[in-house]
Amino acid sequence: MTASETRAPVAPVVAPSSERVLRHALFDRIYHWLMAASVLTLMGTAFLPIAGFKFEWLSLHWMTGVVLAVLVLIHIVRALIWQDWRAMILDGADIRDGFRKAKAALGGRGPAPGKPGKYKIAQKLYHLAAAVLVLSIIASGLLMLLKIDTPFWKRNPYWFDSDTWGIIYSVHGFASLAMITLVMIHIYFALRPDEWWLTRSMFGGTVSRDEYVEHCDASRWRPEDRS
Amino acid sequence: MDLFRYATSIYGDSKVVIGASWDLLPWFVAAGAAFIIVHAAVKAIAGRRGHVQ
Repeated sequence: MTASETRAPVAPVVAPSSERVLRHALFDRIYHWLMAASVLTLMGTAFLPIAGFKFEWLSLHWMTGVVLAVLVLIHIVRALIWQDWRAMILDGADIRDGFRKAKAALGGRGPAPGKPGKYKIAQKLYHLAAAVLVLSIIASGLLMLLKIDTPFWKRNPYWFDSDTWGIIYSVHGFASLAMITLVMIHIYFALRPDEWWLTRSMFGGTVSRDEYVEHCDASRWRPEDRS
Repeated sequence: MDLFRYATSIYGDSKVVIGASWDLLPWFVAAGAAFIIVHAAVKAIAGRRGHVQ
């Protein structure tokens, strides 16, 4: 029996001779790590002064915020035009399999959950939560730029009344606090040994064909193959 | 514990909200830690149960 005969059949797009399949293109990996650096810089410049580490944080904070806004705009355009944005949208199969998985984890019996496509239900829910928070932070943060002098514009705090500013600052604050929780959860999953195959793919871009076959439903995600 | 930070209005007759209270910071850290602990425990128990069966 040859090596190819011992493997389970996969989608035709993955050639039998391929050892690796592409999960994240270089452009998306660069985006991910630039976004990670931006978010961690923003959290550091926001919360370290609150925790008692005093330094001149405002310039680095707003400039990094503008960088994050540009990165997210690029990501949205790329996802909508060049990527399959539906891969990140919850569908009926995700919800059905999510219930089945939760039931099995709690010791219940029933049909086994199916495999996900490119992203698991937990990843889709995480992305949704992160998208809501990051977009809230960016929208409120861009408005907050009206209150500071920059090389590009002079401050004008009279655009809104004090009650409206209170709402804008509160949205920025609560969403930023919630980002702490989300980032903790994200790092935890990235470090879990059973998720290392995903973490590695965010460095190298690919997963092995065995990992692809083990974790993904080929009918729901047909990646480009890479030798 | 307050949910918001307040300041006195420019007219001096009322309090106005100026943002989220930073006293909530430890609670959001605790929420992340709680999720991690519960998830790790559930996965460990489920893994042990699967290993026994």
